Amino acid sequence: MVPTLLLVSITTFVIIQLPPGDYLDSLAAEMGESGVDNTAVLESLRRQYGLGEPFYVQYFKWMRGILLEGDFGLSFEKNRPVTDLIWDRLGWTFGISIMTLLFIWLTALPIGIYSAVRKYSVGDYVATFFGFIGLAIPNFLLALVMMYVAFKFFGQSVGGLVSPEYLGEPWTWAKFVDLLKHIWMPIVVVGTSGAAALIRIMRANLLDELYRPYVVTARAKGMTEFQLLLRYPVRVALNPFISTIGWILPTLVSGEIIVAVVMNLPTTGPLLLRALLVQDMFLAGSLILIVSMLTVVGTLISDVLLALVDPRIRYQ
Amino acid sequence: MRIRTHKRLWALGAAGFGLALAAGPAALAFEEAPMLQEKVKAGELPPVDERLPMNPLVLEVVEQTGEYGGTIRRAILGGGDQHNMVRTIGSDNIVRWDREWTEVRPNIAESWEVSEDASSFTFKLREGMRWSDGEPFTADDIVFWYEDVFLDTRLTPNKDSTFVGPDGPVEVRKIDDVTVEFDFRTPNGLFIQNLAYGFGYHPAAFPKHYLSQFHEKYNPDVQSLVDAEPAAADWIQLFNLKAGPMDTPLFWQNPDRPTLHAWHLTNAYGSTDRIVAERNPFYWKVDEAGQQLPYVDRITYDQVEDVETILLKAFNGEIDYMLRHLGRPANKAALTDNMDRGKYGFFDVGDLPANIMILMLNLNHKDPVKRQVINDKNFRVGLSHAVNRQEIIDLLYFGSGTPAQVAPREGSELYKEWYAKQFTEYDPDLANEFLDKAGLNERDSEGFRLGPNGERFTLVFLVADVFGLQYPDAMELIQGYAADVGLDIQVRATDRSRLIDLHTSNEQDAYLWNCSGGQADAYTTPICYVPIVSNSVSWAREWAAWGVDSNRGEEPPEAVKEIFAAYDEVKAASGPDELRERMQHVLDLSMEQFFTIGLVQNDPVFGIARANVRNVPNPLPIAGQLWFPAPYTAQIYFEGGDNLP
Repeated sequence: MVPTLLLVSITTFVIIQLPPGDYLDSLAAEMGESGVDNTAVLESLRRQYGLGEPFYVQYFKWMRGILLEGDFGLSFEKNRPVTDLIWDRLGWTFGISIMTLLFIWLTALPIGIYSAVRKYSVGDYVATFFGFIGLAIPNFLLALVMMYVAFKFFGQSVGGLVSPEYLGEPWTWAKFVDLLKHIWMPIVVVGTSGAAALIRIMRANLLDELYRPYVVTARAKGMTEFQLLLRYPVRVALNPFISTIGWILPTLVSGEIIVAVVMNLPTTGPLLLRALLVQDMFLAGSLILIVSMLTVVGTLISDVLLALVDPRIRYQ
Repeated sequence: MRIRTHKRLWALGAAGFGLALAAGPAALAFEEAPMLQEKVKAGELPPVDERLPMNPLVLEVVEQTGEYGGTIRRAILGGGDQHNMVRTIGSDNIVRWDREWTEVRPNIAESWEVSEDASSFTFKLREGMRWSDGEPFTADDIVFWYEDVFLDTRLTPNKDSTFVGPDGPVEVRKIDDVTVEFDFRTPNGLFIQNLAYGFGYHPAAFPKHYLSQFHEKYNPDVQSLVDAEPAAADWIQLFNLKAGPMDTPLFWQNPDRPTLHAWHLTNAYGSTDRIVAERNPFYWKVDEAGQQLPYVDRITYDQVEDVETILLKAFNGEIDYMLRHLGRPANKAALTDNMDRGKYGFFDVGDLPANIMILMLNLNHKDPVKRQVINDKNFRVGLSHAVNRQEIIDLLYFGSGTPAQVAPREGSELYKEWYAKQFTEYDPDLANEFLDKAGLNERDSEGFRLGPNGERFTLVFLVADVFGLQYPDAMELIQGYAADVGLDIQVRATDRSRLIDLHTSNEQDAYLWNCSGGQADAYTTPICYVPIVSNSVSWAREWAAWGVDSNRGEEPPEAVKEIFAAYDEVKAASGPDELRERMQHVLDLSMEQFFTIGLVQNDPVFGIARANVRNVPNPLPIAGQLWFPAPYTAQIYFEGGDNLP
């Protein structure tokens, strides 16, 4: 785990350094684009940010800060320590991720079981149809369509997690209710493809199990169909659900950037995108590092859980 | 009422006068916003008469005297969008342009005098004026900026050209508490104009009482503040952090810094979902009825990540007054469809640069063959005739725009038809003729012209997708037009930082960009008429470097030297008529040289204001240097005293 993370940190840093130029070039370019050409100020800013040091020096300084002081460096654009900026957003990211995970499980499990047990029924076809649509439609498009519908037919203020009147206000019950009115949308958007995939996997795995001799034996012994289903084949087919934990977090943080940008969510996605665009390298590097860490930790958790749930894995 | 005139007092621009028109304080009882009245009653604020200067600026309103209340709601992008605030509240300088962008008027200074030869400028400040935290604003603040920030090479390694004359940096002297003199020693006739533009904000943006604590000279114990600030390693970094330039995010990330603006930030840009700017109780402008401005209680900027979200907010009526990001031709149809739903209307925005699509050929090319060809005017004229401008406009901009060269706009006092229209007609035969004349008369087997060295002559155009103007698509069309007349153009799409990197190090053949200088800014930023060092525009970088310092760069030909000399004359002009004549001469010379090839001049753009927003400047001029509507947002108000539901 540790060597993986170390390699990740180096790769991250190298990749961020690869594009030509640095934050100040981006800043100069943006100034130029708004028609404001400020040559005078750039020199003093270059000094301000310590850009221009060799790259391994920058890397070691950065790593030393993280390891010894928990200091992820400074965001050039926000002029604040990275740690001040990301925890808030990581919190939202975690919150939405966990709720999305629950959403995926809660929809995929019953539907997957249903469509396996009632194979080729009308219900199976409907579930399959929506499953394929869910897999095929890109998230951001789904987000746009849902926003359009919410805007056109419900007159809802779209984008963001709370209505404009609650922005920057302290938390109240009304604000919380307002949050619930908004938060289902990103959850559904982000969760749909995951749920669709899991439905397909669940259906396939369960179909493999349903006609095994042990099922027939159990049924012959007079076990009720429902108990039988849940106790044996479903348990065996459950593995993919647990291994989702490993990939859901990184997918949410990095893969759903476009959705977060489109829906204006206060998660890490837009922050990362912006940081990469303007080459705000410590912010981008820290985010990628943390996401990688989550992936590694998530994989570990799902491995442990799998071993707990499935004795076959334990014995190997 | 007292009116003062001065022997030689003029404000440049068309009308060219600078009368300080001021209502005497004793004659008027001033009024204030209800939200401030409460604070005065509670003893948190001194009464309004004590907060205002002796002689506040009486701001002319667009329609009528307004009423207090309401919040201007806007949206801002999560990063790089500081101009959103700069242009609504930030730009409030010592002097200001009038709403029509024709003459300069008093602003922070109540009046000024210009010496006979336009080399020295004496400003009279408003007595009793205060920063947003209630501390007095005096000549000492300006001297602090001058001596301890501007002259300190550690804090200001490069000086802003606004404050550098032909004879070096300005000298600033305090005459008394409310009088300062800016002395350039040699004529600098454009200074007042420059001071009214965006970058003129410096002298009145450095509150000494607040910033001196971060300065080594005033605070021997500054190191303890440095230690407490994780983002700074020494006092210079700390000072820069607390006193950042207005056009970078830094300025808007320090809400503690007192300002002279109409609204004052309560939280920092970039770390919240909503930035709130509250009215400055010490703002120094009043209306004709003696009501202290601004009318509107606060401005909020909701942070969004995507321009499309701003559009949706506008449809939903969540934007009260805004042109930034919205005012693009592509948005017009959708915004018109949703006018009733969002309860807003349109106003015109005169964002009219000299040209929005320019073929910037590198006249100082490092390769002698390419340089020789590009420097031949026949070549540039030929290329200009080869382009079908109207087709570009029809295909990319839905027919909105005019085929034109890089030139002052119609309606500008510097406008001449031949500037804008020369060599613009689409005529491949004529183009071929000129290109033959330029010595490219041999062709290879594929029909492409050969250069003087006998090899195919190829120009590599850099193009980045900037300004939302579909440059990459335009470049493809241009490549086709050039091929029709046997000219090989290769297109390299790149991102804009890389593009800027390449052209500022003089490694490009050519690129596509835009250029300011379409209106009154032709005087102060003639970057496409005279070679000037700039971050965004390079068509003769070496000449420009020579123009700054004749030991550097490369000596230009006589014709270009003549343009430099003519522009120096402009700077030395001492009256508006003389100024216009001399600038016209510069343009005559420059247009004759035909440095860059302009393709399109755009139509005016637009902004939206909700139905009960009054006193909206319409049309509103804006430009790269003209940070409008900032000096006039204070007089915008909501009819009924609050936002529409």
